[in-house]
Amino acid sequence: MSPLTRRRLLASAGVGAAGIGLGASGYLVGRDTAEADEGTGSVPFYGEHQAGIDTPAQDRLHFAAFDLVDGSRTDLQEMLREWSRAAAEMTAGELIGDVNNERLAPPDDTGETVGLLPSRLTVTIGFGPGLFEHQSLGLAGQRPAALRTIPSLPADELDAAQSGGDICVQACSDDPQVAFHAIRNLARIGRGTVAMRWSQLGFGRTASTSRSQETPRNLMGFKDGTANIRAEDLEAMRRHVWLGAGDGPAWMRGGSYMVTRRIRMLLEVWDRSALSDQEETIGRAKYSGAPLGESEEFDPIDLEAEKNGKPAIPVDSHVRLASASVNDGERILRRGYSFTDGVDPRLGELDAGLFFICFQRDPEKQFVAIQRRLGANDALNEYIKHVGSAVFAVPPGARQGGYVGETLLG
Amino acid sequence: MTRTSLRAALIALGIGLVAVLAAGCGASEDAPKGAKKMAFKLTDAGCEPSAAKAPAGPINFEVENAGTSKVTEMEVLDGETVLGEKENLTEGLSGSFALTLEQGEYTIYCPGGDNERGTLTVSGKLDSKDSPEVEAAIAQYREYLKKNTDELVAKTTPFVAAVVAGNIAEAKALYPAARVPYERIEPVAESFGDLDPRIDARENDVPPSKFEGFHRIEKALWAENTAKGMAPVAEQLLADVKELQGKVKNVNLQAVQIANGANELLGEVSASKITGEEERYSHIDLVDFEANVEGAQVAFEAVEPLLVKSDPKLAKEIEASFKQVYASLDPYRDGAGFVSYEELTQADTRKLAREIDTLAEQLSQVPAQIVGG
Repeated sequence: MSPLTRRRLLASAGVGAAGIGLGASGYLVGRDTAEADEGTGSVPFYGEHQAGIDTPAQDRLHFAAFDLVDGSRTDLQEMLREWSRAAAEMTAGELIGDVNNERLAPPDDTGETVGLLPSRLTVTIGFGPGLFEHQSLGLAGQRPAALRTIPSLPADELDAAQSGGDICVQACSDDPQVAFHAIRNLARIGRGTVAMRWSQLGFGRTASTSRSQETPRNLMGFKDGTANIRAEDLEAMRRHVWLGAGDGPAWMRGGSYMVTRRIRMLLEVWDRSALSDQEETIGRAKYSGAPLGESEEFDPIDLEAEKNGKPAIPVDSHVRLASASVNDGERILRRGYSFTDGVDPRLGELDAGLFFICFQRDPEKQFVAIQRRLGANDALNEYIKHVGSAVFAVPPGARQGGYVGETLLG
Repeated sequence: MTRTSLRAALIALGIGLVAVLAAGCGASEDAPKGAKKMAFKLTDAGCEPSAAKAPAGPINFEVENAGTSKVTEMEVLDGETVLGEKENLTEGLSGSFALTLEQGEYTIYCPGGDNERGTLTVSGKLDSKDSPEVEAAIAQYREYLKKNTDELVAKTTPFVAAVVAGNIAEAKALYPAARVPYERIEPVAESFGDLDPRIDARENDVPPSKFEGFHRIEKALWAENTAKGMAPVAEQLLADVKELQGKVKNVNLQAVQIANGANELLGEVSASKITGEEERYSHIDLVDFEANVEGAQVAFEAVEPLLVKSDPKLAKEIEASFKQVYASLDPYRDGAGFVSYEELTQADTRKLAREIDTLAEQLSQVPAQIVGG
């Protein structure tokens, strides 16, 4: 039986640029991972690095953290194999599995993406510190030293139920249904080996990871990601993001570390702050995105600049405290999403904010060091709360015929 | 009461409908041995031949797209019910599906053709001899049905007597034992008209005037602390369970249907037992939970010999998962019963749900594996 592909269903419909969003410079030379197919928006799953890190940020996110239930190493290998196979199928616009038309059997693919393009779907898998503690896996000796639960940081208000996880999957796509479908199907495939711990839907990217992308705005109304590392900056990617030889265990070479933080924004309070308050809190002009004292978004941040005898960019502003020069040159690749999860029942207020995701070579030196500074001093803390936290080792990409995690599990 | 699915209703009704053993996406190797092969071509005109004849029994429909872009599928219908089909046959592709048909007139439907509908006339008597294993499976399960409907009547009788006598404490004590045999075999009850809603509907499943049966009495005893006015409801309940006992004696069963029943029982658990929605007033949901699982296990074990032939690995996995589910219930046992559902925390229900989902996911693969056995 020939595989039913979503692409074939659309053969006569003509494929528009909807949902692809790469703009004129769709093909970016000099990136480390392969680009999306311009026609179908299919991002190759296999490669040296996992996709979804330096891939130009898509518009939608569905993220899930799982805990290992009871399983042997073989069970985990088998699951990761099936996950990788399913991810390769989904990103290529194919139905998952072999059995989708057998009347007496539940279909392998849940079906809500039939007729939809992959829309640049990427599926990125990571391993949390807890995974290495399961006796049944025998992996204790292979936990990278850099992979440790994020320590308690100033201003944290973490909810354990929204934090941690043995394994994560980050599914990004320009089509929310495609992103949703990826997590749902992997969760189903994983039943019996892993159980969902928490998940997060994200709408609206809050970073640009490519020069071809316009800087988006987060829910505070400010451009977010102006100073982000871009995929085209290969040198910056290698210095700050990709693990190379000597960066911990061999099985992580070509991978990275992901830190996620669920950051609730106190929007009701923010919305009644004066424009000047908002701008001084962030350190940029709201509408242009220009650093205070400058005129264009991409003007370099001048921390020495003064206005009326005071620093133009306030000492406790977010942009100053997060900038590389104040953090020993450390930078992180940000790739977060806005979220809203209804109403906080205690207060009747919006439960919304930024599901922050970043990638780096060393969480302790990079994210933790930067957040320690922010948590202690950032003016922004009046308006946000970190309510969830997790860290994952993101292995290198899978080869054709292989699977993500093969370098660890064999 | 469950939310019945159309498919369950279709498969469960062996009466008045054709007996169907369908393999939807098969090469002809999947068709029962000795199946008659019938070749059909898809053309711009529709299906060819458009008027076909066949003897009753297993038929393998071999469909080929002979060069049309208008038609890509063929369905065989009984009235408006699709019994089998083959889709997505674009130019140059062929495929097949198998059905076992009784005497009657069926429609061959090829949407998109100039002449979309044709006829298939099936004549003669259906030689519905099942293999010895299938017959054994059905006999085993029928025995279980009989045993449980007998037990249902035996346990409902004193419960009803206590309600009629106004003996609230005694009625409460006898309630769980009457619930167990019903919850073990619930899907079969659902195949008999409105017997299930009459016996087992919960308050918001039916209009107020139709709220009767076990849960109406449950509400009176636990929420209202009375048996007043419940005598007629109790008498009707006894009459209904006796009716079920009678109907089960002659029920038509298929191996696939028994396997589907196991799936439905676990669906019951997920939908209302794990959430505490079933026994809203007495909170004995875990009692029902275990009964549902027991029923699913018996149904599974009846068809297990058929499964072992095609997928012994899956059979072992399912057995292990059943053990796991029982083990996950152990912490909540209280004497011969269980603690009140109200004592469970979110962490407890989450763990139970996880075990059930794992088992159910595996069990859902069984019907397709045993077809044609």
